[in-house]
Amino acid sequence: MAAKHADLIVLGAGPGGYACAFRAADLGRRVVLVDPRATLGGVCLNEGCIPSKALLHAAEILREARHGEAWGLRFGEATVDLDRLRARKDGIVGQLVGGLGALARRRKVEVVRGTATFTGPDTLDIDSAAWRFDQAVIAVGSSPVRLPGWPEDDRIWDSAAALELRSLPERLAIVGGGIIGLEMATVYAALGSAVTVIELAGQIAPGADAEAVGILHVALEAEGVTIHTDTRVSTVKATKAALTLACEGAFSGRIEADAIIQAVGRAANGGLVAADRAGVEVTDRGTVPIDRACRTANPAVFAIGDVTGGPMLAHRATHQGHVAAEAACGHAAALDTGLIPSVAYTSPELAWVGLTAAEAALKGVAHEVASFPWAASGRNLSSGGGEGLSRLVYCPDTNRLLGATLVGRNAGELIAECALAMEMGATLEDIALTVHAHPTLSETIAFAAERALGTLTDL
Amino acid sequence: MPEIIAAPSVRALARERGIDLEALARDLGRTTIAREDLGGTPSAGTGDGAVAGGQASYWDVDHARYGPVTEEKLSRFAQVAAANLGAANALIPQVTHHDRADVTAIEALRAELREEARQRGVRLTALAFHVKALARALRDFPRFNASLGADGRTLVLKDYVHIGIAVDTPHGLMVPVIRDADRKGLWQIAGEIADLARRAQARKIGPEEMGGASITISNLGGIGGTGFTPIVNPPEVAILGITRTETVTVWQDGAPRPLAMVPLDLSYDHRVVNGADAARFLAHLAGLLAEPRRLLV
Repeated sequence: MAAKHADLIVLGAGPGGYACAFRAADLGRRVVLVDPRATLGGVCLNEGCIPSKALLHAAEILREARHGEAWGLRFGEATVDLDRLRARKDGIVGQLVGGLGALARRRKVEVVRGTATFTGPDTLDIDSAAWRFDQAVIAVGSSPVRLPGWPEDDRIWDSAAALELRSLPERLAIVGGGIIGLEMATVYAALGSAVTVIELAGQIAPGADAEAVGILHVALEAEGVTIHTDTRVSTVKATKAALTLACEGAFSGRIEADAIIQAVGRAANGGLVAADRAGVEVTDRGTVPIDRACRTANPAVFAIGDVTGGPMLAHRATHQGHVAAEAACGHAAALDTGLIPSVAYTSPELAWVGLTAAEAALKGVAHEVASFPWAASGRNLSSGGGEGLSRLVYCPDTNRLLGATLVGRNAGELIAECALAMEMGATLEDIALTVHAHPTLSETIAFAAERALGTLTDL
Repeated sequence: MPEIIAAPSVRALARERGIDLEALARDLGRTTIAREDLGGTPSAGTGDGAVAGGQASYWDVDHARYGPVTEEKLSRFAQVAAANLGAANALIPQVTHHDRADVTAIEALRAELREEARQRGVRLTALAFHVKALARALRDFPRFNASLGADGRTLVLKDYVHIGIAVDTPHGLMVPVIRDADRKGLWQIAGEIADLARRAQARKIGPEEMGGASITISNLGGIGGTGFTPIVNPPEVAILGITRTETVTVWQDGAPRPLAMVPLDLSYDHRVVNGADAARFLAHLAGLLAEPRRLLV
């Protein structure tokens, strides 16, 4: 049987893959989008960013209701109907993936359900059907890392399983205190589980500004989450009654749990598509090396998103998807920025972009730091916010912003201003002289800049 | 952190144009690059001699290396004209349509009126007939008497017919305008052309006598040529080029017949005018020129 032909085949319909497919279609290409899932959207929409945000919203309502007591508001004991909560979350996901399907149809993008593996430099199989392509984009993402030596047990979840909300364990251990682990801790602690987070590094949210992380750490503990940093899980034993984690390091001892979430990171899926047959290099970590235009070693094959390495974030994948589509259509596109914001949607939220003070010191970049504590923000206090911090890292010679870390309510929304400021080469003066509305949380960024300039009157 | 400070849009534009921002920053002696530094922006002012379309550094050679040269400073007038022509050519997608018109009847009429012209003291040139016929054609095809709005979303249709005449002068090209040419008679038009041309040569044309044309005529008929591709003079959407009338053999009713034909070249802004309309417009104009009586009805 003759092979089918496509202008451009995109492997993987996550946020990078569908953005790439749609952009290429908008540029006039005939695009085929392949994904083994029944729905578009990949991990992000189906079992990642979006469902976790739905559950985090439920957690936020529960927390707010509990804190209502201090405002003279009493709601009584909250009850959680897991089935309805799950249905609500699934409904939101369904609405979004349904919308994506409509967007694909409007662009005449051909969606093929199946698993694609390369068979040559310009050929691949989708399941058993042979295809020929002019160009291809590898956007097959990443999978949760499974720690070796752990027992097989359906009480041991990865992030996808955790988001299925199968049950509400009385005692939940989360191995890995990165963004995913901390978001799960936030959800399950609010729903009523006794949560313990075990992190190998010296702090939760490794890589983020230590002072800001300290505020999040205290807030999580105040919500009943137990946190062990500098701690390694040496063995896990499963009995009918419980899962037992043996820990060593700063915390040494046993933790009994009714469920465990493994959240120790994600591994690139580059090994799953037989990329070598297309002349595309794959590292032993499963990543596909690319240049700034997302080109692989095969000039007709591009790669975007998690499969190209870190930071494994949807918004990086989306931008790479646009770059790959434009480059594939002959445009001089490139991802020429390293400013990819990171957000932990915890309570409070933690968001950062650019250099932290520690990174600047490590790289020998001349820098200064200015902070504004949210305890002095009228908007924060009057909306029930707790501790928070806006922290700017800047160049002392030029006053240009080098990085920013925000911790507090809505930090994930606020970080966009800092990213834009850095992309535009803004100085502290530019930020301070831009009129920020009062009272807002965004003011705290301008206040931090004013503090560095010595013009602040709010402290 | 990058050493060069440039907004994402500036970096993208530089990439599209193949401009190395680091090299540009070195040349400019600074670390901040703005959009204007990339050159050739549509909104960038006229008259600074900037070349629309960006990188022209490969033109910048030392000509004296190849033989003796002298330098002549361009007048401010010439610099402005050069920048405007460069921008018009770079920014307007233009096409030139070619046709020719039988001017036997016009030549006969001019010969008939030669005595009256002498008495009136006016030279009744072929150009006067072209102006009159073109004015009539613009009334019949209003989309050629139009300008594209600056936002590219509107077309301004004009209820007046002003014809610009490109005049070659020692200090450069000037385009004085015959106002309301559709409402003026041939004698008046011929008189105004002569007056404007004379004053243009002496550089005694006021700025108010030069803007606002519906269309421009560039007439090289007195010099020669069989055709050329004039550049549209924005905000007009078309320009008519005329070269020397020649006698061509045309077969009519099985017999060869010599006819005086004038070549016509219409360059037009393809964003406003399509090729079929241009062909119809020029055919219509050629018809009016072939039968000048039709200008009366």
